[in-house]
Amino acid sequence: MWDFVQICVGGLAVGAIYAVIALGFSLVFRVTGAINLSQGGFAVIAAMLGYTFAVTFGFPLWIAIPVAVGLTTLGGMILGNFTFVPALERLSTANILMLTAGLLTMIQGFTLVIWGSQPYAMPPFSGEAPLVFGPIRLPSQSIWVFGSTAACICGLWLLITRTKLGRALRACAENPTAASLMGVDVRRMTLFSFGLATFIAAVAGVMVAPTTSLQFDTGGLFTISGFIAAVIGGITSFPGAVIGGVFLGLTTQIATAYISSLFATAIALVALLAILVWRPSGLLQSRVRRRHDVRENLKASMHMARLAGGAARIFAILAFAIGLLLPLAVTDNGILSGIVIAGILFMTLMGLDVLMGYAGQVSLGQAGFMAIGGYTSGYLTVNYGVTPVVGVVAGIVLSLGCALILSIVTLRLRGLYLALATLTFGLLVDSCAVGFVGVTGGPSGLVGIPSFSVAGHEFASPRSMYYLVFGLDVVILVGLVGCMSSGFGRALRAIRTDQLAADALGINTVRYKLVAFLISAALASLSGSLYAHFFNFLSPEMVGTDRSLELVAMLIVGGEGTLFGSVLGALLLTLMPTIFQPLALYKTFVSGALLVCGFLYLPQGIYGALVHFVAQLTGNTTPKVTDVKAAGAHR
Amino acid sequence: MTSQMDAVLSVRNLTKSFGGVRAVEKVNFDVAAGGVTALIGPNGAGKTTIFNLITNIFVKEDGRIIFFGRELEGMSPVAIAELGLIRTFQSARVFPGMTAVENVMIGAHRLAQRHGFSQTLWLSSSRKEERDTRATAEALLDLAGLLQFRDVHSTDLPMGAQKLLEIVRALMARPKLLCLDEPAAGLNDTETQELTNLLRAIRQNGTPILVIEHNMSLVMNVADHIVVMDAGTVIATGAPKVIQEDPRVIEAYLGTEHHAVP
Repeated sequence: MWDFVQICVGGLAVGAIYAVIALGFSLVFRVTGAINLSQGGFAVIAAMLGYTFAVTFGFPLWIAIPVAVGLTTLGGMILGNFTFVPALERLSTANILMLTAGLLTMIQGFTLVIWGSQPYAMPPFSGEAPLVFGPIRLPSQSIWVFGSTAACICGLWLLITRTKLGRALRACAENPTAASLMGVDVRRMTLFSFGLATFIAAVAGVMVAPTTSLQFDTGGLFTISGFIAAVIGGITSFPGAVIGGVFLGLTTQIATAYISSLFATAIALVALLAILVWRPSGLLQSRVRRRHDVRENLKASMHMARLAGGAARIFAILAFAIGLLLPLAVTDNGILSGIVIAGILFMTLMGLDVLMGYAGQVSLGQAGFMAIGGYTSGYLTVNYGVTPVVGVVAGIVLSLGCALILSIVTLRLRGLYLALATLTFGLLVDSCAVGFVGVTGGPSGLVGIPSFSVAGHEFASPRSMYYLVFGLDVVILVGLVGCMSSGFGRALRAIRTDQLAADALGINTVRYKLVAFLISAALASLSGSLYAHFFNFLSPEMVGTDRSLELVAMLIVGGEGTLFGSVLGALLLTLMPTIFQPLALYKTFVSGALLVCGFLYLPQGIYGALVHFVAQLTGNTTPKVTDVKAAGAHR
Repeated sequence: MTSQMDAVLSVRNLTKSFGGVRAVEKVNFDVAAGGVTALIGPNGAGKTTIFNLITNIFVKEDGRIIFFGRELEGMSPVAIAELGLIRTFQSARVFPGMTAVENVMIGAHRLAQRHGFSQTLWLSSSRKEERDTRATAEALLDLAGLLQFRDVHSTDLPMGAQKLLEIVRALMARPKLLCLDEPAAGLNDTETQELTNLLRAIRQNGTPILVIEHNMSLVMNVADHIVVMDAGTVIATGAPKVIQEDPRVIEAYLGTEHHAVP
């Protein structure tokens, strides 16, 4: 009995931290209508700074901790001012979610560059000795955690309900357009809420630091946990954030104690998925509803980059010839392997482009299907000695099954909530890959996967694998160009931009979205299988959530809605660390930064810029109304 | 009703309330084959609500809607469009990010014979269908005087052209009944004239039209039959000449002395 109470107390302490981070989510969402995933990253930065000041420099805690929190908040506000705030005016909320995912990656990469990949353990603020209440032992740090959580909640509540600033924040939350007409500086309020959320996250980070070991990627964990807590509780509600945090803390601690620590995350994720489907707006719903103004779907109206017919043909032939001759020019096996990996990822990216670029459905869990494909094929070839082709097909079938179930379950979800559901799916697959040690080899990975082979011919060398991947890529690309440039692609683009109008023309939106999702799942699965066979090895982090986010970065940087463009993003992000070996440390940082900059400054990606350049060169630009009218007048 | 025999669409006893307010109450009317039926009335009379009830975007409380002898009860907007009842929207809902001709080609969706699979394989049948669809789309754009804007992004077009484009897109679906929601709203005089010509051309082609419109000169010019609504009920039906002289219609539009005196 006392064991159980002890576990619950531990769960409350963990839950308190989740609750604080969830409060930050809730705050930013209420003011801006967007999810800010970068908060976990700031929590870790603050904790790392605190460690550096307190342990490395030996400052007293009462200086080190406030300075760490202050610096983090300042840095967060500067970063937010140049990324999050301008993005709010240009991007749809689902794209802002991805932008903040890029920020999180960037912050993690920054932490990696500064503090390295080793774990840090901060000493507790008031000694190691726990407080003892009869049979219950309470670590002294949990008093600090509970105290700061309570202070954050009370402070935030007072600010929101009792001050003029709070009223302005609430006005932005309910109707930003009307608020700006009433003289509220919405831009400043947005920045303020971003900074306040960063501050809260920083406080949570320094408080929790002594109770856990910190690494550069702990931020992702904080973000995900805080975010799950916010969604469970109801993202629009402050009390919901607290309830969600406590619920999540208790669930994971009890699951760890009585089932297995490997499945603790999986259980929390299943709870989240169930809540997303059952009550998309969470357990507690706010009384005020945010009004969705025109801001939504701005990005959807973006024109897609297209080469004119003649130029397109020349480019296709040129690209094909380069692809064919590339292995003759590239003699370095390391670089050729990098190109093969980019080619394998390109398969996933083409599917993701059909799903995101054409159908407008955001997926943050695409690597989950890569994992299903890779592990299925790997497991079957290692343990049952089936040929890789059979393994690949089995993986695709399983992925299609999962995609079908996922899409039926998430049928009603759109935009932001769909992105959340796919993110949850990716995390769930990830935690299964870690948890099912017997099948997947657990965290250390599945070893001894044979190279890919067809009818006795083995593709063991990078060069032979290159031609296999190149051939597959070309076949898939040609096929997808065929249907995306015809009625099928047009129907998807119609759904992306105006579902109601598409309905009115007899386009069955549900069926088309499902087909797009299945295409993307099958291609990701194929690509995951080949990936595993190429490396002869597969571990969870190779196909985890970081990979999903990297895939989105590749797609955005390369050019969304172009099918071909993503290969440029894949090559860039894959080859960069291979070619510039000393820069490998910066890979995470750069991929995050590229995603953020891509969204902000190059919304049509590298391919879009290329198309624009060629069009200028050949004078073959898209006609404008004025041009047409002028031409008509001359005639 | 004598016209019931050749009615394309029959609306019977249609009723819908929003939070206790009767938006549409026991509305009856028919749309005759091969003519233009106009639905007119002051703002808030319930005209657009009727459109949304016909296409099942709203669920009706009571009444029947019969399209070519078929009850539309419980059908999805997609299924209704597949039957050939194609509507446009009050605010031109062209698909952004696509050129004018691509917008029109989407209209052919309901008639397409070749689907994603044969397009993926680049089969000659699907390539031919694609070429034919494009040719038809260009011919229709020409009919509406929009051919010069073929490759312009639809959202870059002036409002009037966007509204015409939406009608052309609906035409591309070869509708058995074309429902237009305020096509002349936001159009200038030249554009309204172009719209009038387009509607006449469609009428000549034999496609029945149901149109909601505020522009009286347009309605009197093209409509064969007018249904007048006020406060959720039908107050008059008949030919344009008859409607123009109906005292109830004049009262609905201009009000009477009676309302001014308490």
